[in-house]
Amino acid sequence: MRIHRRDFVLGASATIGLTTLAAPAVLGQGKPRVVVIGGGPGGATAAKYIARDSQGAIDVTLVEPSRSYTTCFHSNLYLGGYRSYESITHGYDKLAAHGVKLVHAAAAAIDREKKQVALADGTRLGYDRAIVAPGIDLKYDSVPGWGRDHEKTMPHAWKPGEQTSLLKARLDAVPDGGVIVVIAPPNPYRCPPGPYERVSMMAHALKQSGRTKCKIFVIDPKDSFSKQGLFQQGWERHYPGMVEWLGPKTHDGLKSVDPASGTVKTGFESYERCALVNVIPAQMAGQIARDAGLANETGFCPVKPESMQSANDANLYVLGDATIAGDMPKSSFAANSQAKVAALMIRGELQNARTFPARYNNTCWSLIETDDAVKVGGRYEAKDGKIAAVETFVSKTDETPETRRQTQAENMGWYAGIVTDVFG
Amino acid sequence: MPQIGFRRTGVRPGGTMPLGGAVACLAALAAFLCQALPGSAHSTDSGIEGDPALGAYLSSECVACHQASGVQVAGIPAIVGWPRDQFVAVMQSYRDGHRDNPVMHNVASRLTDEEIAALAVHFGNLKPTGQ
Repeated sequence: MRIHRRDFVLGASATIGLTTLAAPAVLGQGKPRVVVIGGGPGGATAAKYIARDSQGAIDVTLVEPSRSYTTCFHSNLYLGGYRSYESITHGYDKLAAHGVKLVHAAAAAIDREKKQVALADGTRLGYDRAIVAPGIDLKYDSVPGWGRDHEKTMPHAWKPGEQTSLLKARLDAVPDGGVIVVIAPPNPYRCPPGPYERVSMMAHALKQSGRTKCKIFVIDPKDSFSKQGLFQQGWERHYPGMVEWLGPKTHDGLKSVDPASGTVKTGFESYERCALVNVIPAQMAGQIARDAGLANETGFCPVKPESMQSANDANLYVLGDATIAGDMPKSSFAANSQAKVAALMIRGELQNARTFPARYNNTCWSLIETDDAVKVGGRYEAKDGKIAAVETFVSKTDETPETRRQTQAENMGWYAGIVTDVFG
Repeated sequence: MPQIGFRRTGVRPGGTMPLGGAVACLAALAAFLCQALPGSAHSTDSGIEGDPALGAYLSSECVACHQASGVQVAGIPAIVGWPRDQFVAVMQSYRDGHRDNPVMHNVASRLTDEEIAALAVHFGNLKPTGQ
């Protein structure tokens, strides 16, 4: 191999790196401190990458109340019986080996003036930069008749953990011939293909156990949804007569639900004595981000596309589902990708680290039936003031069974890879 | 210009790959290449020395799926410890569309020769450590 040194040419968008090389904000003021709020795929990745790559030069604290994290991604595979609950649950212990300090407490507020994160017990953690990755909050008032008090009767299972187990238990108890209603959320929401993969996994579990007289109705406020043609083809192919998707033109709006009687009313129909109603409500950024003034009127947080820095505070970075990330979906893959950009830019600011122009990536795999998986994805860059898709792809309806099988193998390999990247 | 070191046709119809002894012991690589290159692979040096710092940054995109420990799970092959020229040839073939995995094409299509060389250095220097 011929060896000759060639300096990397940064290209047209090199100003980010060059700017950050000029004047690190807090060099010479003691060890810089980064506080990360939220230990999901965005927050945990950012904490790990900053701590690991700064090699102790930056003090990194991850604030996360839970001792373990059950992933939303692949929770549908748990529902379908393909995965155990344990296999989608991960501890934080390995992050300490990278130098991350773990504080298992709830972050209550961000004091932007004093640059402190206040914990629920009153402790304050000072920061030079903070990363806000709280995920989503549910809008409990977005479905008439349903609210926080009803989430055990009509589970949402759109936040990982107890709700996931509850939904599976309720699905397992549905008798043959029972009616299931899934109320899909309006845009924007966490995991665009998620409700429809969930429907597929529900149908799979019912079919596997001989409950093929069951019927799943999807009441959707949207005219179309992610991978629609692929899912609908899959439902007809694998679960004939078991799944019916209804868009707003065919249900005339969701009017109300009654958790006590198991009723769902739309403009055209009334579904009574449902065996299971899964309400996936509208969503917004986690409360701590909204309380800190990081969200706009949409309920989500605008960010600078070249860095994931909050549009409202240069000392704060926002990651993942809480953000308005342009063309990127709200997915774990996206949050993980965004975290790596933020980690690099923060090390550029605090440690004088060499930086490179932001690049983002995403792929979302969905399982429809055994060995029949599909995917959608893209790559993204900062362009025209937003994170813009540069190239996208989606599975095709005429793919061979072998391609679909390989796609599912990728899906399983990706899961193992990303949880290692985030928590390992 | 770096030469694209990858031929599609006319060589070794039996699928044997002229990869050399050092590579032959890398079962994961061999299996992957056998699957992906039904004809043969001739790799050549792109003549670009990879920038390790750039490679480290770019690699963060890869390890969302490919484990840095070299562990291979299901449909995601291990990519550590590959000879650099083979790594370059594989990435170029995804970029150029000779291989059609959309995820990999999507990743590779924005990589310059310098960036591919940087990744080749980074992953080439990693040793499999996983179980």
